[in-house]
Amino acid sequence: MIIDANVQPHFRYNAEIRKYLPAAHRLRSIPDVEQQWYQAPGGNYREDLYGEHYPGSDRDTVARHLFDDGGVDYAVLNPLTRGNIADYLLNSRICAAVNDWLLDRWLEPDTTNRFRGTIRVNPEDPKGAVAEIERLAAHPKLVQVGVPMQSREPYGKPMFEPIWEAAAAHRLPVAVHINGGNGVDYPPTFAGHAHTYPGYAAFMPLNYFVHLATLIIEGVFGRHPDLKFVFADGGYDILTPLMWRLDTFWLSMRDQTPWVDRYPSDYLPAHVRFCSSAFDGPTDPGQMQRWMEFSGKADLLMYGSGYPHWSASSPADAADGLDSSQRDNVLWRNASELYGLVAQVEGTTV
Amino acid sequence: MLERRFVCSLDELPPGAMKLVDVGKFGVGVYNVDGSLHAIVNYCSHEGAPLCLGLIGGTNEPAPDEPGGIRRVRDGQIVRCPWHNWEFDVTTGQNLADPKRRVRTYRVDVADGQVYLNA
Repeated sequence: MIIDANVQPHFRYNAEIRKYLPAAHRLRSIPDVEQQWYQAPGGNYREDLYGEHYPGSDRDTVARHLFDDGGVDYAVLNPLTRGNIADYLLNSRICAAVNDWLLDRWLEPDTTNRFRGTIRVNPEDPKGAVAEIERLAAHPKLVQVGVPMQSREPYGKPMFEPIWEAAAAHRLPVAVHINGGNGVDYPPTFAGHAHTYPGYAAFMPLNYFVHLATLIIEGVFGRHPDLKFVFADGGYDILTPLMWRLDTFWLSMRDQTPWVDRYPSDYLPAHVRFCSSAFDGPTDPGQMQRWMEFSGKADLLMYGSGYPHWSASSPADAADGLDSSQRDNVLWRNASELYGLVAQVEGTTV
Repeated sequence: MLERRFVCSLDELPPGAMKLVDVGKFGVGVYNVDGSLHAIVNYCSHEGAPLCLGLIGGTNEPAPDEPGGIRRVRDGQIVRCPWHNWEFDVTTGQNLADPKRRVRTYRVDVADGQVYLNA
């Protein structure tokens, strides 16, 4: 079995979202999903996918590429929204429109039963985000909550906690993924704006660590034993040295956050998962197996193709250099446990 | 081989005080915590700093219903290493973050107003 935990389905064309917006918001100005300062030089999507409509917008084509050509059994769809736009109420309606579109165009007509979806919510509107989770949590094909990597505050801060509490109450993991569209965001690196796309693409995913560190240190994981976060842009190659730093500081300054009652790194197995990325890991595959054992990454990592992104990776790419147990963990076991997905298609071996 | 050593008279070791005894390679700190006497080695389990030269005080525990979210407890019982701030409970030798990282403790007794260290 293979589970692809990170696929971005797209609207066929930018204005398609308006069909799913309520009348009061239908004619509002909404950023184009492609309106970003940093774009891959050769186009953001796989070259062969450009056509009349957005790449990744035709369900049958996506199913053919992932399931038939790629050998994937399940794909978790995590659509982008349109950036952290300043009108947070409008942004929440955009999230709801994306969710309704995902149900209408992808999940409900899907007879293969291989697609799963994400409930997109807007963390800048905690009340609206909780309401959106409550509206859709019971849907059997919606298996996680999705929020942008871009945030004006780290996700461990208390104003976000009601959202995480609602997700945990429904046993839905929260997936953090770099959003499309251009919003009122802070710079993509810790030290400001990158010059070009490589600087952006190399460092933007690393912002996850600030969310992760604050979720631990502010006690959010400690208060919500069922809360799980998925960092879907990779960045797990820096996990170990940063957790070492966090563990070290905690030993010295534990009394400032006494609710953290174990090593920060001890929270990882129960609360944190990553999706694979083409940019993570040692450049020499010979070092892969040993590297995966650091911080127990073999139990944390799930294959995520990033389809239809230009850097989408195949299951074989993601498993390159891994031993057979690590390979099973990454290609299906970790995701199977997280999302409760079991092999159901005839002729598929587990 | 433990030896019972005279430290000082009890008057010289009031609550809150510490006497460093020159014994063994690193010395041993004898503490009076609220009238009860305890001793730990003067050697931090982290990197070997002179632990007993650290400040003695309390630590914090979570207090979710209080405005600051934390409250001070075990006052006079916690020594903080002068190098990296690791906290140890002088009554048990345990590190507060990781109880497995402990320091050695020694028995202290009082006879006729005199304090003795068994180290």
